[in-house]
Amino acid sequence: MSDATARAAKRPRTTTAERPLSPHLEIYKPMLTMMMSIAHRITGAALYFGSVLLVWWLLALATDAGSFQTASAVLGSWFGKLVLFGFTWALFHHLMGGVRHFIWDMGKGLDHPEREQLAQLSLIGGLVLTLLVWIAVFIKG
Amino acid sequence: MANDKNSLRTPLGSIRYLGSARSGTAHMWAVRVTATALFFLVIGFVWTLLSLVGSDYATVRATLGQPIPALVMLGFTTLAAYHMMIGMRVIIEDYVPDPHQREWALIANMAFSVFVGLACVYAILKISFT
Repeated sequence: MSDATARAAKRPRTTTAERPLSPHLEIYKPMLTMMMSIAHRITGAALYFGSVLLVWWLLALATDAGSFQTASAVLGSWFGKLVLFGFTWALFHHLMGGVRHFIWDMGKGLDHPEREQLAQLSLIGGLVLTLLVWIAVFIKG
Repeated sequence: MANDKNSLRTPLGSIRYLGSARSGTAHMWAVRVTATALFFLVIGFVWTLLSLVGSDYATVRATLGQPIPALVMLGFTTLAAYHMMIGMRVIIEDYVPDPHQREWALIANMAFSVFVGLACVYAILKISFT
């Protein structure tokens, strides 16, 4: 036996072995695909919490004209519109990300340069859809 | 790797904590199925809301009380509530290490998602039938 092995044999056995963790956030340069991945999760969480706005609006509509007036006034204020714009963007960004995941599920678009192109397309697509919807809102209202 | 003659890892150390998680496919599939349905429903949802921009209380109420808009809204809100629940479940499982806190967080997630779904269904039905 070598010295190291002899010393290891005499050491008491522990039940959990502590292993070093490989660094990730500390060393990786932020790439588009990386950012889009966490953005997909963040937009999902934003939509999760933002769903209360829809609940509020629907309940107000179901209650009476007064409640609906209040809800519409708040959501229609400049701040409300800003929040709704962000919510719409989160929705369409998450939607485009979902389509991207579907393409990956089929085994396509995983290689370079397709994955960057898909990421760019979904980022732009989300923005375009948001703008289209809000232009329509602006024209109608 | 541990199979190298020069590796310093013990055999037990090299195999511990490896192995299949044995679950997760059902979740992944549920996400895909609800996402597919939501892809179409969200188009209907956005279309319905856009058509109501600038309308008054009576008009909005009357429109959402019609069968097709009501069904689109019902479908969208219930599936979205389920999709967001299972999505948030993964986020909690990823970021809450303490088992006690994790269990409470998962329960809170279910409670919130069920509330959102129920509240929307209640509101839409009330609008449709009163």
